[in-house]
Amino acid sequence: MTDAIAPASGAGTSPEPVSLYVHVPFCVSKCAYCDFYSQAGGAELQSPFVDAALFEAGHWSHYDLLDDVPTLYIGGGTPTLLGDGLVRLVRGLLETANVRRGAEITVETNPETTDAALVAKLLEAGVTRFSLGVQSFDDDVLKTLGRCHDAGKAREAARILRDSGAPFSIDLICGVPGQTTASWDATLEEAVRCGARHLSVYPLSVEEGTPLEASIAAGSLPTPDPDTAADMMLAAEVALTAAGMPRYEVASYAQPGHEARHNLVYWTGGSYLGVGPHAASMLTSEQFLRVAEGEGWSLPADGTHVPARVRFTREVSLGDYLRRPLDAPVPFESLNAAEAAREDAMLGLRLASGITSSQAAAAGVLETLAELHEQGLVRVRKSAGGEAVWATTEQGWLLGNRVFGAIWNAGQPPRP
Amino acid sequence: MTDPTLIRNFSIIAHIDHGKSTLADRVLQLTHTIEDRDMVEQVLDSMDIERERGITIKAQAVRVLYTADDGVEYTLNLIDTPGHVDFTYEVSRSLQACEGAVLVVDATQGVEAQTVANAIMAMNAHLEIIPLINKIDLPSADPERVRHEIEEALAIPADEAVLASGKTGEGVREALEAVVRHVPHPVGDPHAPLKALIFDSYFDAYRGVVALIRVIDGHIAAGMKVRLMAAGTVTDVEEVGVRRPVHVPVEQLGVGEVGYLVTGLKDTSLVKVGDTVTAAKHGAVEPLPGYREVKPMVYTGLFPIDGDQYPELRDALDKLRLNDPSVIYEPESSHALGFGFRCGFLGLLHMEIIKERLEREFDLDLLATAPSVEYHVFKTNGEMLSIHSPQDMPEPGTIDRIEEPYLKVTVLVPPEFVGAIMELTELHRATFVNMQYLSATTVEMHYEMPLSELIMDFFDQLKSRTRGYASLDYEVMDYRASALVKLDVLLAGKAVDALSFIVHKDKAFARGKMLTEKLRGIIPRQMFEVPIQAAIGGKIIARETVRAMRKDVIAKCYGGDISRKRKLLEKQKKGKKRMKQVGTIEVPQEAFMAILKVDD
Repeated sequence: MTDAIAPASGAGTSPEPVSLYVHVPFCVSKCAYCDFYSQAGGAELQSPFVDAALFEAGHWSHYDLLDDVPTLYIGGGTPTLLGDGLVRLVRGLLETANVRRGAEITVETNPETTDAALVAKLLEAGVTRFSLGVQSFDDDVLKTLGRCHDAGKAREAARILRDSGAPFSIDLICGVPGQTTASWDATLEEAVRCGARHLSVYPLSVEEGTPLEASIAAGSLPTPDPDTAADMMLAAEVALTAAGMPRYEVASYAQPGHEARHNLVYWTGGSYLGVGPHAASMLTSEQFLRVAEGEGWSLPADGTHVPARVRFTREVSLGDYLRRPLDAPVPFESLNAAEAAREDAMLGLRLASGITSSQAAAAGVLETLAELHEQGLVRVRKSAGGEAVWATTEQGWLLGNRVFGAIWNAGQPPRP
Repeated sequence: MTDPTLIRNFSIIAHIDHGKSTLADRVLQLTHTIEDRDMVEQVLDSMDIERERGITIKAQAVRVLYTADDGVEYTLNLIDTPGHVDFTYEVSRSLQACEGAVLVVDATQGVEAQTVANAIMAMNAHLEIIPLINKIDLPSADPERVRHEIEEALAIPADEAVLASGKTGEGVREALEAVVRHVPHPVGDPHAPLKALIFDSYFDAYRGVVALIRVIDGHIAAGMKVRLMAAGTVTDVEEVGVRRPVHVPVEQLGVGEVGYLVTGLKDTSLVKVGDTVTAAKHGAVEPLPGYREVKPMVYTGLFPIDGDQYPELRDALDKLRLNDPSVIYEPESSHALGFGFRCGFLGLLHMEIIKERLEREFDLDLLATAPSVEYHVFKTNGEMLSIHSPQDMPEPGTIDRIEEPYLKVTVLVPPEFVGAIMELTELHRATFVNMQYLSATTVEMHYEMPLSELIMDFFDQLKSRTRGYASLDYEVMDYRASALVKLDVLLAGKAVDALSFIVHKDKAFARGKMLTEKLRGIIPRQMFEVPIQAAIGGKIIARETVRAMRKDVIAKCYGGDISRKRKLLEKQKKGKKRMKQVGTIEVPQEAFMAILKVDD
């Protein structure tokens, strides 16, 4: 695939970069905190799913949307649960889509399904990177989270990935009920030692309708303490920076050069297509109109709203998806240019690199930034080019919703 | 005009929830005033709030035609009255328009406090009382016990009480027969100067103020010029008619008739409940007895959450007052809350209803401060101030004494809860007067108690401590001197005027402590530490701290999360909109009501 030739997609126009995400909705078992769309088991549905996903990707390629794919991410769920089916999926996608030379191709995996032979096959098929859902190296914490693996299994999976030579990321969760700072410090230390070049660190958020929420409501687990989570987030920043993995996004740390490029597409307003049930897509309005016309989707007849970008999600159950991958309704949401600029500014402040003054001015948020600056939530510095750059402070990371909310809501009429 | 001997004017009176409105519905159906297919529940309660809450706020009158067992068609005027103690005066005026009353008692609940209060009011108005035991279709109905209670507690012979069910319609015809047979027909002098009683009024956007009236003497016809004696208003009669329940104009209303009067006036305060209508020329000399000015009992500050809505709030109050002249208001400004209005209401329910109507009918978002009563502050220089708001309290050094309104309170309760009532009333500074057993299952307890204590969550506490069995009635007694102090609340070192309240000296420490604790739970964590203090005259008596918020971030944010996250941020902002920004602190609305929920 690396030698693929760019197809002729209309005379003279260069292909548009669109990243590709494939959602694999299978897991060994559901974790207690997870509200993603996935189901446990369903072995007999896995092969039909690969067929359906490839069919859907092929369908998108007709709109010239997969002619220049800078990043491909296969997430879930637990993609590696598909075993050889995943290898077939990767190969099929690389045949269907024109994935750019040197593209980042990430596969998500979990400890219980990380197998050395499978990893080797995936690398051979073109995968360049793995993301391993460890969450914790503490058995008690893993139990609270309802993970189906123990710390030993997580260590083993990390070793398999390290031995494969491919760069990998691991996910960690802090602020878990019952999790101690000692446990967290030990998990961080092990994460640094295990060979990961990228770390995602999330404070636990208790989602509606999850077993975790039910346990907390029933009183069998304590309510997560936000102060403890704050301490843990700070501890992560200190430990990971010292280990040569500085924070580059509110929840992401990496060795320089190992930042998650696919995620950066999300955070910098790039286009992406989602394949699979409940996968989200975002296109520019030009790209979207092309699709909508072809699909016969009707657009909102609101003349006052000129969309700049459109997001849509195929909301479909796995069963329906397998029967007719393309038939599900696709609710979409469009943002006008001002909203898109504000969204980019909001996402830009999730990044350590921040946003430039001209970007902030275009989004109409300079005044809001000045207020946040006064509250110590953002700071301002001069870039190499001499332009002012606004970036989130340590306290701003912890109170991220204040920062992001203020930026996003800056477009609405000011409060009295 | 209808022959007065064929008219029966009656009211249905009951304790709340005893089924008054449903019974009225059945009467309308039985007399074909409303056909079954047009029937909705609680026909006479036309406001949404009335239907939703199952209560009657406004009085209503409806004329029904009923052919009795004697083959004669009678004109019955049913006057539906509000069922809550807040509206006692309105009820008394409605009763004045009648000769009889059907006293509805729930067959499962028996006699309750407002059964007694309403029955006494009806007796004072010299009405013929027809007891009706309702809800006999319920399995737990015990008509014999209730019959006994009516006789014991009210001294009304109940052996002929009508047994009925508003739900099934059983007994409704018997009730109407009893009305025809036992309620006296109206008596008046058709040749005397006009005298008609106004028992309610409302504002119609097209026709101006419409009054509901009962003619005592003489007659009233369209085109006449009339004078409203207490208000001194002179106006033309644009139309008179009867309500069936739609308005049906008639040429004139004569002795004993009940109907409506279209005045064309634009100001409801000129048409007062209890006033007498007479002819402008050669009118009556003496008005009907019993009129009085309605005085508010509780006061609260109403502030728009969005300060820009102050003019809208003023317009809304102006408009609402057209329909309900018992609401009074004057501008009030607060350092904490900005511009708003100090409003007076007949009681807590009335206050709640008005706030809800303002928000609903005028699309406003309002914040109400804790209700207060009218204090009489006697200064050392001999001056007396009427204070409706803790903010207006003068410096302690200039005060000689403060007097507060006292109530006569009656509680009806099963004997096993007497101890619980004793305990609760003591916490609320009530003085026990006496008690008597009305029956083996009902004790009547009398207290004297400050109104300010009654509005302190007393009713909810009463209900919860007696598992809902206790019922309550009260009337204003007098003003008495009490050792009262103003308690201030400071947030981050600054006094928040809208949180101040007036409290008895002996309770100040406990309530200050409880309130600060409560506020600590209500005020969300801010970006900085917020000390909450309670103080009397600069002396801090309690302190709590809301720790600074350290973490507020949802870190996960990938493709599909972005929209979701944005929506969450929008929701968070909306949540904030419901809070009031006091200086740099975001204070939720409930903080201003917290003092009411402080249990001792």
